[in-house]
Amino acid sequence: MSTDTPLKPKFYKTEVKPVWCPGCGHFAVLSAVTKALAYLALPRKDVAMVSGIGCSSRLPAYVSVYGFHGVHGRALAVASGLKAARPELTVLVAGGDGDGFSIGGNHFLHACRRNMDMTYIVMDNEVYGMTKGQASPTTAPDWAESKLTPHGPGVPSFNPAAIALASGASFIARGFTGDPNGLAKLLVAAIEHPGFSFVQGLSPCTTYRPEQKEWKNIVRPFELEPTADPVEAAHRIQADDGMSTGLLYQSRIPVWQPENLVSTQVDQLERGFQV
Amino acid sequence: MNAKDPQVIDTLAEFMTHAIALENESVERYEELADSMEVHNNPEVAKLFRKLAHFGELHAREIKSHADGMTLPQILPWDFKWSTPEGPESGPMQEVHYMMNRRQAIEYALHNEEAGRDFYAAVAENSPRAEVREMAAEFAAEENEHVDILKSWLLNLVDPESVRPEDLDPPNIPE
Ligand SMILES: Cc1ncc(C[n+]2csc(CCOP(=O)(O)OP(=O)(O)O)c2C)c(N)n1
Repeated sequence: MSTDTPLKPKFYKTEVKPVWCPGCGHFAVLSAVTKALAYLALPRKDVAMVSGIGCSSRLPAYVSVYGFHGVHGRALAVASGLKAARPELTVLVAGGDGDGFSIGGNHFLHACRRNMDMTYIVMDNEVYGMTKGQASPTTAPDWAESKLTPHGPGVPSFNPAAIALASGASFIARGFTGDPNGLAKLLVAAIEHPGFSFVQGLSPCTTYRPEQKEWKNIVRPFELEPTADPVEAAHRIQADDGMSTGLLYQSRIPVWQPENLVSTQVDQLERGFQV
Repeated sequence: MNAKDPQVIDTLAEFMTHAIALENESVERYEELADSMEVHNNPEVAKLFRKLAHFGELHAREIKSHADGMTLPQILPWDFKWSTPEGPESGPMQEVHYMMNRRQAIEYALHNEEAGRDFYAAVAENSPRAEVREMAAEFAAEENEHVDILKSWLLNLVDPESVRPEDLDPPNIPE
């Protein structure tokens, strides 16, 4: 028997056993990421994955590429620094809706408009999983299951795709962990996209949001082909209930990559800042 | 997503690539489940999933031996002709729970084996090629045997735990 398959997704998995609860959607993101890397046949030494804090942010421990498990909400800041210094690396950034849209919300806006060439995967379970189930910016206002928000958050949830578009992101997609192969295909397109690619992965939290099991009956593919027109994209995103999956928007805009000048010694730098 | 309705598989090599992927992915899923049950201190169910992974491994080996000497095509993960989101024997991840008991785990596995059998049975019915239909019918019969074995496990299971045990560290913070 022979096949011409060069690399198996398993090649990109570490030996570390995930701490995620059995049934967690994040397992499917791990599967999709490794399938995408295998398809792209990226050498492990040329890929870096940066994350913040949360269950989702554990991802770099399980992917066999360079990894940096950073500070809560700061994954994009760390990743931007890395990409600025090492432009030849494929930079993947991972985290949750709490990490990326609460404490890291401001970094998200500016990463979108900066349009550095990296891929940001947000595993959106509409809850803070790691800290036992508090509401996040994507939690519905009437979600009253947590004793920390007894009557629900009471404020509208926000729409990550709309915010990414308004902030200038050049690639916006939504996948679902119930369809890891579809998510893998989106990740391939995201990684290949020159510029900042944002992939929202709907990833049920089996422990704190067991009702999200129902997502498999609600999620469906976007009916329309992706658009490059931001006005049209805005209309589509706002008209959708946030449960349609696929590539929503892709445009070609200049990628920001600072030029790395000849290396500078620390004392030279310090002299530049002397008052 | 892989298509909802069964699609036609028309060469033996294409069929074997599907069969091997189906078995390999199912083994990986059981290993992953066994690992996570160990991490979450559910050793009974971890052991069961490990055992299922082992049986899957043996079956995968047997299936691969049918493909000896063949050149198999490379099929991308999203191009497989499944009518399930993943390989039919890779059960839906969201259907497991860290406190599931052995009965629930066997029921989960039973569902997977039935889905595998149904996949092979559909190929045995739909493929335009006799050699593919024949091989698929053989595999469907094997899967049916696995279904029967799991049903007998269920019948013989002495399970004091038909309800979930109390979680001493429940997920929601007490008032
Ligand atoms: C500076 C700081 N503030 C708060 C926390 C506590 N904390 C850890 S993870 C987390 C939220 C994680 O939620 P999310 O990013 O949605 O990931 P999930 O666990 O749901 O995958 C919080 C608030 C922290 N670790 N650091």
